Amino acid sequence: MLKTERISLSYISENAVLVEWPEIICPHQHQQIVHFQQQVHTKLTDVIIDTVASYASLIIYYQFEKITTTQLDKELTELINCPPLISSITATEIIDIPVYYGLDSGWDLKFVAAQTSLSIEQVIELHSQTVYHAYALGFTPGFCYLASLPNCLQLPRRSSPRLSVPQGAVAIAEQQTAVYPISSPAGWHVIGQTPMTMFDTKTNDNEASFSAVITVGQQVRFTAISQEQFLDLGGFIHNESNKENAKKSAEEKTP
Amino acid sequence: MNYLEVLKLNGQCSIQDLGRLHNQHLGFSASGAADEYAFLSANQMLSNALNCAALEITFGQISLQAQHHCTIAITGANCAAEINGKKIKHWQIHQLRADDILTLSTPKTGLISYIAIADGIQSKLWLDSRSQTLNEQSLGFNEEKVALGSKIPFNEQPETITNVANVRLQSPDNFYQHDTLTLRFVPQNLWQYLNTEQQHKILEQDYVISAKSNRMGYRLSQLPQSALVQLPQNNQLSKPVTYGTIQLPKNGEPIILMKERQTIGGYPVLGCVMQTDLFRLSQLRPGEKIKLQPTTLHHAQQQLSAFYQRFN
Repeated sequence: MLKTERISLSYISENAVLVEWPEIICPHQHQQIVHFQQQVHTKLTDVIIDTVASYASLIIYYQFEKITTTQLDKELTELINCPPLISSITATEIIDIPVYYGLDSGWDLKFVAAQTSLSIEQVIELHSQTVYHAYALGFTPGFCYLASLPNCLQLPRRSSPRLSVPQGAVAIAEQQTAVYPISSPAGWHVIGQTPMTMFDTKTNDNEASFSAVITVGQQVRFTAISQEQFLDLGGFIHNESNKENAKKSAEEKTP
Repeated sequence: MNYLEVLKLNGQCSIQDLGRLHNQHLGFSASGAADEYAFLSANQMLSNALNCAALEITFGQISLQAQHHCTIAITGANCAAEINGKKIKHWQIHQLRADDILTLSTPKTGLISYIAIADGIQSKLWLDSRSQTLNEQSLGFNEEKVALGSKIPFNEQPETITNVANVRLQSPDNFYQHDTLTLRFVPQNLWQYLNTEQQHKILEQDYVISAKSNRMGYRLSQLPQSALVQLPQNNQLSKPVTYGTIQLPKNGEPIILMKERQTIGGYPVLGCVMQTDLFRLSQLRPGEKIKLQPTTLHHAQQQLSAFYQRFN
């Protein structure tokens, strides 16, 4: 059971509170966070703008003109002190993500192998043997944080983030792994690329809808595929020195 | 639909309103106008609803032709705007007649300008907003990226031209600082971890805005080496980040998260820059300098509250 004194509230900006639990990756604690998030929405509907959950934290955006921090603090503390949810993690279907782990697609594969003193084959095997739990959706649309990576594959983030990695890049950092659903800046180590699209989009008349392939709480596994299979599945290899990629990142810079 | 057509475009241009604040839980950036002061002023001058979408232009250099008559407001960085080659007043509303050509040159100072239109730009809505976000372009839900030949749609407007000569409602001079901008921030855990001497060293230095800055984040030059000693390693779990979050990657070069920020991030955090200073920061160019100064949450909230009151 969670001790409430281990949960902290920080009023980090004009309209945001960051709620933090002990810094661990644990499916049970995570379920308590999601439960707390639901309660916050139910109880404080009138003042809540949005909430975003992560591994061991939750940000609450609120209308600061409608409620003082003192009042909000009182409300949130009461919710934290509510009896916690009885844990009931149910087994779900495992989502399979095909990955082409090559030296052309895995920009940091060599670096990761060198840093972990493993062979490239071992890195691939360790990454694809593990079943991961989906902890958070965020960073960019459809980006799902998965954990935990085997201990021997864990490395700090890049000291200097890249301005752009391609859609489908499969990357690792510390205990986490993820697929970049769209091209974006990235501080993680890219070890492969997937041909899979990480979200579905539909447009009917003027209504547009968005759904992510992985949702928080699900189980995920990566399967190694060959370059040929990758291309057959519609993949396009983005080499780090690809002209197209270089041009793209140049376009994204401000003048 | 009536429209403005883009005849020339050298800088960056996008359609922006106040953004999508309710979809961050799905990973969507809040997005929205970078400089809310200039954006809201433009809508206010036109008696528009404050969330009406406008064109956000980075570094000027755009020409637009009115296909139909309309009333517009120009605010933000002064781009020596002209209608049919005749210089017009900045931070002012103007009438465009059919076929008129509006041209913006490169601004001498500042970075971002807004062209708002009576009733707002009527582009596609996505997540209850018209804000365009660079990294979502591939989703195709927004209006297409503003480019040569783009048609910027607006509602039909009354033929009667009201007297628009002196509607300058707001003087921008009181809002923008003209010497080195001091970014006031609400400190967070990493700041409290530093000793007084380290904190002092960080505050006395000027920081240069890097050329890698954009609508997602502003990157600054490195913090003093002496302040970086014994910083905690980046071994923490990714956490939600917000508008103004000051991230500190290991290279010691802070990143201040702006309107097109990601929703979750993993770098240690020094604090969060107050929003009214972020509007000011968005007008600074690469190469310009800023200073950092801690402030209180109470002060930041008061400033933001007072800011929005000017527009209500």
